[in-house]
Amino acid sequence: MSTAATVRRPRVRMILTAVLAVALIAAPLALPAFANQTLIRIGVYAVAVLGLNIVMGYTGQVNLGQIFFVGLGAYVTAYGVNHGWNILLVFFAACAVAGLVGLLVALAAARLGGLAIAMVTIALPIVGVPLAKRLSDFTGGSQGTSARFTDAPDWSGLDNDQWQFYIVLVVSAAAFLLARSLVRGKYGRAFAAVRENEAVAASMGISPYRTKVLAFTIASIFGGASGFLYLAAVQYTSPETLSFGHSISLLAAMVIGGAGSIAGSLLGGAYYVFVPQLTNAIDPNLTTVSQGAILLAVLFLLPGGLVSLPRVVRRLTRRSATRRSTARPAAETSQQTPPAQHPVPDAAPEGPEQTERQDGP
Amino acid sequence: MAASLSLKDVSLHFGGVKVLQDVSFDVEPGVIFGLVGPNGAGKTSLFNCISGHYRPSSGSISIDGTEASGSPPARLARLGLARTFQHPALQLNASVLQNVLLGGHTRLPGGPVSWALRLPYTARSERAIRTEALELLDRAGLAWAADLPADELSHGLHKGVELWRALLSRPALLLLDEPAAGLSHGEVEQLIATVKRLRTEQDITIIIVEHHMGLISALTDRVVVLDHGRKLMSGTAAEAQSDPRVIEAYIGKDAADDAA
Ligand SMILES: Nc1ncnc2c1ncn2[C@@H]1O[C@H](COP(=O)(O)OP(=O)(O)OP(=O)(O)O)[C@@H](O)[C@H]1O
Ligand SMILES: [Mg+2]
Repeated sequence: MSTAATVRRPRVRMILTAVLAVALIAAPLALPAFANQTLIRIGVYAVAVLGLNIVMGYTGQVNLGQIFFVGLGAYVTAYGVNHGWNILLVFFAACAVAGLVGLLVALAAARLGGLAIAMVTIALPIVGVPLAKRLSDFTGGSQGTSARFTDAPDWSGLDNDQWQFYIVLVVSAAAFLLARSLVRGKYGRAFAAVRENEAVAASMGISPYRTKVLAFTIASIFGGASGFLYLAAVQYTSPETLSFGHSISLLAAMVIGGAGSIAGSLLGGAYYVFVPQLTNAIDPNLTTVSQGAILLAVLFLLPGGLVSLPRVVRRLTRRSATRRSTARPAAETSQQTPPAQHPVPDAAPEGPEQTERQDGP
Repeated sequence: MAASLSLKDVSLHFGGVKVLQDVSFDVEPGVIFGLVGPNGAGKTSLFNCISGHYRPSSGSISIDGTEASGSPPARLARLGLARTFQHPALQLNASVLQNVLLGGHTRLPGGPVSWALRLPYTARSERAIRTEALELLDRAGLAWAADLPADELSHGLHKGVELWRALLSRPALLLLDEPAAGLSHGEVEQLIATVKRLRTEQDITIIIVEHHMGLISALTDRVVVLDHGRKLMSGTAAEAQSDPRVIEAYIGKDAADDAA
């Protein structure tokens, strides 16, 4: 029975992927505008969380400034749109400027050890907000700046929210696919090696410095892409976009979704969007308290993040099943999982460790 | 392809502590070389100097005639140096196969963009290195463990996985820091057989730090004895074991320990 399951697995996967793709393409046509807007925002933040996950979840480098790159991407997008650039050029510029700034910051910060990197990244949004207010020619100052470029063209016959949905879908799907291939294989192993033990990584020919710079730069590029999507969805940005509090929320979303997990980043994006809606619905005066309570509850119950839920459930059901069939539960579990069925550990079980480090300051 | 190694007056100080003092010796390509000495003699520190993890305070280390001291460890690894650690340092929650695959890093071509785009040659090289890693595990009788998380393995197998990880890089110079520590008698015999096989099948220079004199006698062509950071003597394993200075270094250490 188990062999049949393993044989059929890739096909099941393919069918599931196809169904998911069709569902995503059909969804905006069927759903009401409010639902589409919610999904759009999930996509926007999922890309930012994904970038954060690469540098922090996979590579273990504390980054408290991811929102800065989202804001940067948004401002570059607004600037490009308002100067009549081609939309592809705008997208490219948003990613490139964020990536370049990220690269420069990382080249300097990665020379410093653990906490020093965290301090440098804290500085980014803290410096970014007054800078955005000051550079009003570029940013529109405290008023912010708006840019409309995602109204549905007539030939499409779509509503604006549907059109925006597709833009966000294309960009975020590309980001997730690229990130997924990157973290499987050579670079995923290099990131994990640097996170676990830099001396070992170096002895394998992996430069910890270069790897950290790479991860940080990728995170910044994804931040920039997320900023582009943010503007595509919201069509307005102000210094508030890159405030430090949002950066911490992104970090919480990453941990809740699942540190070191690609799918967890998507869940993190959903958490980022849904939880404020939920807590506002409970009691608008208690949002921070109820958000904190949700955060703690998830961390206690699922230290590996929401993405570890199926694994935890499977382990619990397996354990109770074995308890029923034999007297010694723990020793027998290995029989029930032949090695061939062990999942590739890309949904990293390092959640708890990460969490402690992130929760510190 | 096996590399030669030459140390000249290598010294290493930490503040006032002289960990290594004027250590010199040469290792010819293709030999198995032993590095022995009582606890705290500086053997691991010397390995760290060779592998680039420590920078010697003075002296020179050259691999195949090119100066190596001062180069970062990652660069030396790319030049064909591999090592294991005295205390196995595996990624415990990753699978055994993933741990071994890490050793293949330098052999995989392409940058992050190629890998993110999954260009055909990256997928091909990943498949090839995976096959090779599985073959290594299979020959070591560890095929069953490939997909298990590393922390489910015994200490002895951790040592084995470290060795296979290092070997997957196809090193020209391999440093083994106490590969037999904590192994059972049978596991030590297996290790000796493995290293002997390596020597006949691959063009490789191996330096072994070990307290297990049986293993040193069985495997090494020459040894250097370190004591308190100085080279005490060099010669064959048999010469070292009968050398009065070496015996005194070990006994003297014990006596000092007893007195303390
Ligand atoms: N980073 C460091 N800072 C300070 N002292 C160090 C450092 N590394 C090693 N030492 C000192 O150098 C000396 C030699 O240590 P080393 O680990 O090289 O010995 P060893 O020969 O490998 O011993 P063992 O057989 O116990 O492994 C010890 O006294 C140790 O305390
Ligand atoms: Mg040692």
